[in-house]
Amino acid sequence: MDDMMFLTFAATLVGAAWRLATPLIFASIGEVFSERAGVLNIGLEGTMLVGAFCGFAAAFATGSVPLGLIAGVAGGMAFGLIFAVFTITIKADQIVVGAALNLLGMGLTAFLFRTYYVSTGKGIEIAQPIAIPFLSDLPFFGEAFFKQNLIVYSTVLVTVLAALLLYRTSFGLTLRAVGEHPKAVDVAGRNVAAYRYGAVLIGTGLAGLGGAFLTLGHSNQFVEGITSGRGFIALAVVVFARWSPIGAFFVSMLFGLFYALQLMLQAQSSIVVPYQLLQALPYIMTIVTLVVVRGKSAAPSKLGQPYEMR
Amino acid sequence: MRLSRRTFLEGVAALSIAMSVPAMAKAEELKMGLLVPGSVSEEGWNRIAYNALKGVEEQLGAKISYVELQQNPASFEKAFRDYASQGYQVILGHGFEFQDAALEVAQDYPDTHFLISSSHVHEGNVIGLDTDTSQPFYLMGVIAAKMGRKAGLVGGMEIPPIQVAFTGFKNGARSVNPDFPISEAYIGNFTDTTAAKEAALSMISAGADFVVPNASGATVGGYQAVAESGPDVRSFSIFSDYTEVAPNNILGLYVADYAQGVVEVVKAIQAGNAPTENVVFGLKDTKVMSFTFRDDGPVSVPEDIRAEVKAISDKIAAGEIKTDTAP
Amino acid sequence: MAQVNQGVRENVYPQATNPFLRTLAQIAISAVTPIAAVLVALGCGAVLLWLNGFNGSDVVTVMIFGSFQDVRSFGEILLKATPLILIGAGLCVAFRCSIWNIGAEGQLYVGAIAATLVGTSIDGLSVWVHVPLVMLAGALAGAAWAGIAGYLKVRFQASEIVTTIMLNYIAIIMTSYLVTGPMRDASAAYPQSARLVREAWTPRIVSDMRLHIGILVAIVLAVGLYIFLQRSSRGFALRVVGLNPHAARYAGMDVRRNVMIAICISGALAGLAGAFEVAGVTHRLYQNISPGYGFEGIAVALLANNNPLAAILSGGLFAVLRSGSEVLQITSQVPQVLVLVIQGIVILSVVAFAKFRDILRIVS
Repeated sequence: MDDMMFLTFAATLVGAAWRLATPLIFASIGEVFSERAGVLNIGLEGTMLVGAFCGFAAAFATGSVPLGLIAGVAGGMAFGLIFAVFTITIKADQIVVGAALNLLGMGLTAFLFRTYYVSTGKGIEIAQPIAIPFLSDLPFFGEAFFKQNLIVYSTVLVTVLAALLLYRTSFGLTLRAVGEHPKAVDVAGRNVAAYRYGAVLIGTGLAGLGGAFLTLGHSNQFVEGITSGRGFIALAVVVFARWSPIGAFFVSMLFGLFYALQLMLQAQSSIVVPYQLLQALPYIMTIVTLVVVRGKSAAPSKLGQPYEMR
Repeated sequence: MRLSRRTFLEGVAALSIAMSVPAMAKAEELKMGLLVPGSVSEEGWNRIAYNALKGVEEQLGAKISYVELQQNPASFEKAFRDYASQGYQVILGHGFEFQDAALEVAQDYPDTHFLISSSHVHEGNVIGLDTDTSQPFYLMGVIAAKMGRKAGLVGGMEIPPIQVAFTGFKNGARSVNPDFPISEAYIGNFTDTTAAKEAALSMISAGADFVVPNASGATVGGYQAVAESGPDVRSFSIFSDYTEVAPNNILGLYVADYAQGVVEVVKAIQAGNAPTENVVFGLKDTKVMSFTFRDDGPVSVPEDIRAEVKAISDKIAAGEIKTDTAP
Repeated sequence: MAQVNQGVRENVYPQATNPFLRTLAQIAISAVTPIAAVLVALGCGAVLLWLNGFNGSDVVTVMIFGSFQDVRSFGEILLKATPLILIGAGLCVAFRCSIWNIGAEGQLYVGAIAATLVGTSIDGLSVWVHVPLVMLAGALAGAAWAGIAGYLKVRFQASEIVTTIMLNYIAIIMTSYLVTGPMRDASAAYPQSARLVREAWTPRIVSDMRLHIGILVAIVLAVGLYIFLQRSSRGFALRVVGLNPHAARYAGMDVRRNVMIAICISGALAGLAGAFEVAGVTHRLYQNISPGYGFEGIAVALLANNNPLAAILSGGLFAVLRSGSEVLQITSQVPQVLVLVIQGIVILSVVAFAKFRDILRIVS
């Protein structure tokens, strides 16, 4: 490959990686909030599917992408409310409830889709890419960075806001304390359960947004199982990113990069490696990274544990 | 040797005249069951079978039923048996993976006919029905090589119906230009529309100006990518009509009316004249398989190329060009 | 990472002096929760059907009773129950030890691959040798695959939740590679392995039914695991580690060793389930050998309250639901995915009822 071709290749790769990373960025930052407050939600896959479905259904009915996005977030939060009631109020085991919500999310969206959407024709109008004047005309990387749709751009905003909220506000400080020393928060007169509810709803709302991006910002149809395991990958991203929103952004980008690279390398007929090896690469890499970063050290100390009030 | 469709159809016609209406009315109510390995709600592989089942209902007045089996081999045999024991005379298993289960059950139900899509089997009452998609894809390959610089093919999983189609495309393109560049990528499932779209986009950015996706439910992502890349990128609509998704890019349509083919086979079975060999539908079966050019789009195929394609199509139908042999 | 509040679960049983009566009372009380949970889930399923224009009562009449048409359909239920019981019983052991093995699906695939290798590459062995060999290969492969996650957990503190999920994907992709590449049946164009030699097929119980001896193996193993957990000192150690690893360490138990044993047992049973799917049902390896048995097995173990003996019943129940949902689609065209919704609600109800029971206990 000569330099020109390499640059074009790299630019396409980066553009694709960002789009592929977008659902992961939303879902994993959401999960950072949840886990920082001590709530491990493995039901992200189901939540994202609910977001994808609600977003699609609303946009299909109204023709409006913003309404679809709102519906996706609302659907995710409604689903998250079930999770919160069971894990925080009833204090049921978080993994058990998460596993149940995955089944419920997959089953419910597929059931409703099969029942009501026998044919969806050309689907919906998705959010269109917006070219930022001048910048998008830059050679090679111009389009990759400056010609995406608003949902993709918003990942940067969401990341910055999430980091500010988590590290620069008293809400964020308390939320993190809830995951580390809930008793101290309780003693200080703050309601641990309320903070956990807040964290879970932020988390599932963002997961719903990540799901909705798939149907409203990328492909124009809902397909059963459209998340294709992204909810599980987001869980890995959080550990890999050591529970930091900014880390989650970059780790998601790395996963997006691998995913895009995998697709692009397959198309290069000169590569003789079986494509399945490339497909497995992100998963293998996650395991390797877990070993290298020794995830546990940064985990919130009360992760996964219900809080018993005094 | 493959069954000649023409003699087969003539036979059917003669028979139905001979049997006439009263004889048909005496026959017991026709019941047909369908097993699909996924959801019929998505445009794609499973929908084709559902449409075929609907066709049998509408044209032959059959009572129909279908079951979506989530790619679960352990359930196949049971489902075949359920239908057979309830007196369904014809059961369609939509995919080669149903073949083993059908062969097993067929021994116990000699009067039931088991049709298997995408299969070349023929053992007693188990009959393979194959739509040779390499033929229309061969034509697409010819057009791509004549009009374009580079082609990209996006597949779902690496299974025969998709591999055969891509082989046809490559053979067609290389019959025009042996060095015509074609890149190929599999997304590894049939659900990830996002991956299908990105795979197509990356091919386009690498210079592909003809992109054909073939990934069942996820196919639509490929067309989305084509549509977003402007009218310089061309595509063909496959199986269903996707022109609404990419109105400025689709040059032609390959429409498979599997229903017509299945209806004919079921009719023959009903008349006691079941196919004696596995059935392969191709361009020769104009009711089942058609490849048409679009005239209403902003881009279209020039007349001279159309004439050439027509000639090639006739040769394929006549069996003079083999489209599915590995290069 | 996650700790289960299992102390509560273990001590809910009333004290009775007669050990036989006590056992009976224990069984009766522990049966109330799952039965109530299943009823609630079926109720929700009925409401869901009714809301969407289907016949609500079908959930009971068709889904539950419809799958018991004759001996053969009963046999088919047991056939589906086999992998669920195996995986569910194995996961009970892991979950009791607080190991969140989400990777049974991948372990099943790896077991199926190993069983296929042994079942297709060797010829001329007697049934008495080949069948056990295939089973052994599946179990060992499953245990080894789970062992990777176990090792990463004890050595590097890598969360087994994440590693087992990743190993699922890797196993499934590996299967796809093998059946389209090196293990593909040379005589056909399909992505499937060659057929296992006859001697490697799991023997059937009745010759004209598909039900094979796997169901008996599953039941025997589930009973064996129950005895292992409740009566052996190793089983006791596993449970202590699950309840409180610090206390276990303090008591001189080797936590790492127990974690490895627990996860490998669960992996072995999942691998065995994969071996039976190949050697007993399909006789070939396919890309989609499992419709999610590995994930369903998690629900089976949870419904059984992590008791391997109860996993026999909950595995059977989930098989009935799965069979029934197929009958329901054939007769009433209800989308078969309804079964996932019902399974999800079963788990949620179990959780809710267990809490409700605890509250009642505290109040009384």
